[in-house]
Amino acid sequence: MARRTLAIRLAMLLALWAVWEIAARSGLFYEGIIPSSFLVLDSMGRHVGDPVFYGHLARTLYEVLAGFALGSAIGLAGGIVVGAHRFTDEASAPYLHGFASTPKIVFLPILMLLFGAGPGSKVGMGAFSAFFPAVIAVAAGMAQVSPVHVKVARGFNASFLQIVRKIYLPSLVAPAITGMRLGLGVAIIGVLLAEIKFSDRGLGHLAIQHYNFFRVADMYAVLLLTFALAVLANALMGRVGKALLRRPVPA
Amino acid sequence: MPLRVAGVSKTFAASDGASVQALDDVSLEVRDGEFVSLIGPSGCGKSTLFQIIGGLLQGDRGTVAVDGNALNGSRRDIGMVFQEESTFPWRTVLDNVAFPLELAGLGKAEREERARRFVRLVGLDGFERKFPDELSGGMRQRTAIARTLAFEPRILLMDEPFASLDEQTRILLGDKILQIWRELKQTTLLITHNITEAVQLSDRVAVMTYRPGRIKRIVEIDLPRPRSSEIIASAEFGRYVGLLWQDLREEASRGMADAERTTA
Ligand SMILES: Nc1ncnc2c1ncn2[C@@H]1O[C@H](COP(=O)(O)OP(=O)(O)OP(=O)(O)O)[C@@H](O)[C@H]1O
Ligand SMILES: [Mg+2]
Repeated sequence: MARRTLAIRLAMLLALWAVWEIAARSGLFYEGIIPSSFLVLDSMGRHVGDPVFYGHLARTLYEVLAGFALGSAIGLAGGIVVGAHRFTDEASAPYLHGFASTPKIVFLPILMLLFGAGPGSKVGMGAFSAFFPAVIAVAAGMAQVSPVHVKVARGFNASFLQIVRKIYLPSLVAPAITGMRLGLGVAIIGVLLAEIKFSDRGLGHLAIQHYNFFRVADMYAVLLLTFALAVLANALMGRVGKALLRRPVPA
Repeated sequence: MPLRVAGVSKTFAASDGASVQALDDVSLEVRDGEFVSLIGPSGCGKSTLFQIIGGLLQGDRGTVAVDGNALNGSRRDIGMVFQEESTFPWRTVLDNVAFPLELAGLGKAEREERARRFVRLVGLDGFERKFPDELSGGMRQRTAIARTLAFEPRILLMDEPFASLDEQTRILLGDKILQIWRELKQTTLLITHNITEAVQLSDRVAVMTYRPGRIKRIVEIDLPRPRSSEIIASAEFGRYVGLLWQDLREEASRGMADAERTTA
């Protein structure tokens, strides 16, 4: 990354922090709504050193990862099926796009009826959220597979299965990664929302606990840690995606 | 191996309900080891014929025979180079070239060794590990040609492989093609709309009419072999170009008038 970009990012962070600290000390806000950043930092330190925090973290990680994996897998397979024919693609488009832009949280009651109030319904939320970006990106990707590439393979007498494995699948890597990057983001959102609404564990649960007992600095600490986690997950996905795109295809 | 096309016709149903007759009773023979070019104006049905010969498209009538046997199903003997950009962007040059060998089930070591030979043949040694987007258009087209050569076809079919390249690159690649042809001795049918290219490379040039595509005339190119691109400067070469242009001019004008009518 260019040093300038890095410098500007750092400056933005500092500015944000300064605004926060000034707001906290100005006395303009009702006491405790904006705690001093030092209190928040201190609380973050305490959380990171506390085994209880890791229990919540582990639960959230499990729910996000399981939901993301499940939703992506079904979404990728579904996208191939849907995108295989123009007919299925056109027929399903309004439903997929309609559902995709509906906030998934409205389905939480159904998921709780189906999978209980524990981690099951959160995994369900994650999966449900991650499914749509994956299915839409892959279905669109199917339409983008180059007809010339297919002809080249047919010209070399490739079998149907060879065409699927060596032309379609590699052509779908890029759209699948795009869909999964979006999917991971919305899976995190879905899981956290579900935890905040109703749960016994997880980062969302922890934040809402702090809120209920008016431990505002602690609440901010959990939110910031969650934010860091999301940034990390996104960066990791980006790395994995780049590596996958550039890797020569195995036989 | 000789290639014989006999009485091939093809009519497309256009989207607006009308139909376009692309090919009308096309017959053409390419003798064993011969280099024939098929030249015709844009839209005259060259790519259609290319796909029918390659077995990717079904003609309405007529037959395509290789070595006297009518083709059906397996086309192990015909290798195709496409008009459009066709390298796989997710594969390196070497993996692109090894693609047909991979389909045939060869092990990694063997197919890479064989692919290397064809990469060298088209002059891309040193670029084996590059991806297509790191190459120039001419290098990508050479990759596509090497990939088809690695299939080791007895008959090589090329559809305007240099259409998107500049004149100089095209002429130099012509030299390369002739050098490969001398080495591998495949029966070759080159489709083109470039007169210079057709004369530079071919034993015979078949001129096609504009829609419906028919073979209008076949011109024997009686220039010495082995040839190099220097021959372009000769008076003899110029005569052939002039001769072919006379035949083509009428067809190309019809094509252009047609295009103007449909866009008007
Ligand atoms: N799949 C198709 N459906 C309908 N019409 C088609 C189809 N393929 C080709 N045609 C029509 O058939 C005619 C011949 O097309 P073709 O691609 O064979 O021309 P060409 O000689 O290769 O042209 P160019 O030199 O521009 O590549 C054109 O008028 C084209 O519009
Ligand atoms: Mg064409």
